[in-house]
Amino acid sequence: MKALRFYALTALGLAVFPFVIHPLGGYGGLATQILIVGIATIGFNLLLGYAGLLSYGQAMFYGVGGYVALLTVSRFFPQYPNFWLAIFLAVAFVTLMALVIGMLVVRLYGIYFALLTLAFAQMFFFIVFKWRDLTQGDDGLQGISSPPLTLGPWSIDLTTAFPALDLGPFGNLSDLHYWYAFVAVVTLGVLGLMRALVASQFGETLGAIRENEERSALVGFDPRRYKLAAFVIAGALTGLSGALRGLYETSIAPDALTVETSGNFVVYTVIGGVKTLFGPLLGTGLVMYLQNVISAKTDAWRLIEGIIFVAVIVFLPGGILGTFRRKSARTELARAVRATPESAP
Amino acid sequence: MSDAILETKGLGKRFGAFAANSDIDFSVREGELRAVIGPNGAGKTTFFNMLSGITPATDGEIYFLGERITQLAGPRRVARGIAKAFQTANIYPDETVLQNCRLAALAHVSGSFALEVFRSSRRLAEVDRVAHEALGLVDLATLAGARAGDLSHGDKKRLDIAIALATKPRILLLDEPVAGMSLEEVNKTDTLIRGLAKRMTVLLIEHDMTMIMGISDSITVLHQGKILAEGTPAEIRANARVQEAYLGGHTEGHV
Repeated sequence: MKALRFYALTALGLAVFPFVIHPLGGYGGLATQILIVGIATIGFNLLLGYAGLLSYGQAMFYGVGGYVALLTVSRFFPQYPNFWLAIFLAVAFVTLMALVIGMLVVRLYGIYFALLTLAFAQMFFFIVFKWRDLTQGDDGLQGISSPPLTLGPWSIDLTTAFPALDLGPFGNLSDLHYWYAFVAVVTLGVLGLMRALVASQFGETLGAIRENEERSALVGFDPRRYKLAAFVIAGALTGLSGALRGLYETSIAPDALTVETSGNFVVYTVIGGVKTLFGPLLGTGLVMYLQNVISAKTDAWRLIEGIIFVAVIVFLPGGILGTFRRKSARTELARAVRATPESAP
Repeated sequence: MSDAILETKGLGKRFGAFAANSDIDFSVREGELRAVIGPNGAGKTTFFNMLSGITPATDGEIYFLGERITQLAGPRRVARGIAKAFQTANIYPDETVLQNCRLAALAHVSGSFALEVFRSSRRLAEVDRVAHEALGLVDLATLAGARAGDLSHGDKKRLDIAIALATKPRILLLDEPVAGMSLEEVNKTDTLIRGLAKRMTVLLIEHDMTMIMGISDSITVLHQGKILAEGTPAEIRANARVQEAYLGGHTEGHV
């Protein structure tokens, strides 16, 4: 029943989301872009929030996912452009990449882990930038239209707009393309996966390792393998996100692999709330909204983003959602303390 | 020697030019309660860390039930049956007391790695059974629902032992189990360890000589990283070299 309620409410939320941001100045495609990037952020939260690993190189999985998806369509199988094949190859390649890189990085801790992931991301940026034959260098891959989505007998062009339906202040249904519906379904699935994963035996163990790695090793868990699994799952989701982004935008350039992109995932997660299910999506939405909507109004949007980031870290150290949750925990604790006789002098 | 559960041959640990442990030939029988004592800096904790796999040995070999485990990683040694409680209680402070033991029991039941990303550990009745049993052994059952970080010092140390017990060990390494405890807590832990020694092999480091002399089947004395003497409590008490080592160093021991 709880699962049913989760899926129903989340689906409802995803259905109304684009119409909520419309009156705030969000254009039709923004909702789709937010969900696509949000998938990577949700995966990143598994690392930062649940495994306690600050990766500063997620852009490599995001960017490579995008490149592999578009190259599958334009270069590897141009005679059979297939949507699912593009996604599958992108995710498979990135998963393998995360496995190999992960085996090296999970040996390290804290700042060294962050720096090594950053170094790998820089290497991939360089490869993509310099391998002109394959990637077109700094021009990137342009104008590669996404193959239709095939579902059994159906073949759906995701760029088709929904039928016109005036929704007053919330815009028009035709502002949205089928892309949004598809990405919303994927997001729902990813949220469901993450919800199950966190409550699972794997999530429980990962949390234990995060809380006390030394103890965990000496009760018999292998911390490196758990961290590696988290790194690979996060990498795969980031690759999926990148592939969707490439297919949606019909283009990709090396900027998808920059340090700034990696940093964005950190910022989105921290602002929304680490170790919360919806926090990463909320943070992604909030900051991307600012980046896209406020930047059209003022050049100072970077400053605004910075002020929000600082304010969240100082005043809401658990992120927006994390702080709400911790507040209720704090209330519970206060209640418990009041119920206990004075123990301290 | 054939009934040794844990044995070391020429075991040593060098940190650069400094040898924390060297030439340790050590053997414990199954079911024995053995104390390892020595002045501060004698290398007791380093020795334990090599046995549990926290620190790799630089020389020599370690055998558990006849199998060479010198290169085996810590988590795998736990799976074989070597568990350790730490000098400073090493627990999961934000989890409940019961969950601390459940995690250890989970590792025992599921092994060092299980990619169970959809199913909860609650399906494993064995985990709860083992966890409750461990808590019962250390007399913490009434505090099962408390947050581990809120326990008293003595209870934290007993919880640490319970965590080790929930891995279902054959040999239990206890690093100063009564350090910093009140007299009442020391007596309680003394009784606990005597009870545990009936079920498994216990190896303990301790400074509390009254306790050591009363509880141990035999004692190994480390001094400057090497074995200085070995014998029954009476033999160790009468050993002139042991007395000299203690009196020449720190006098806190009161042998």
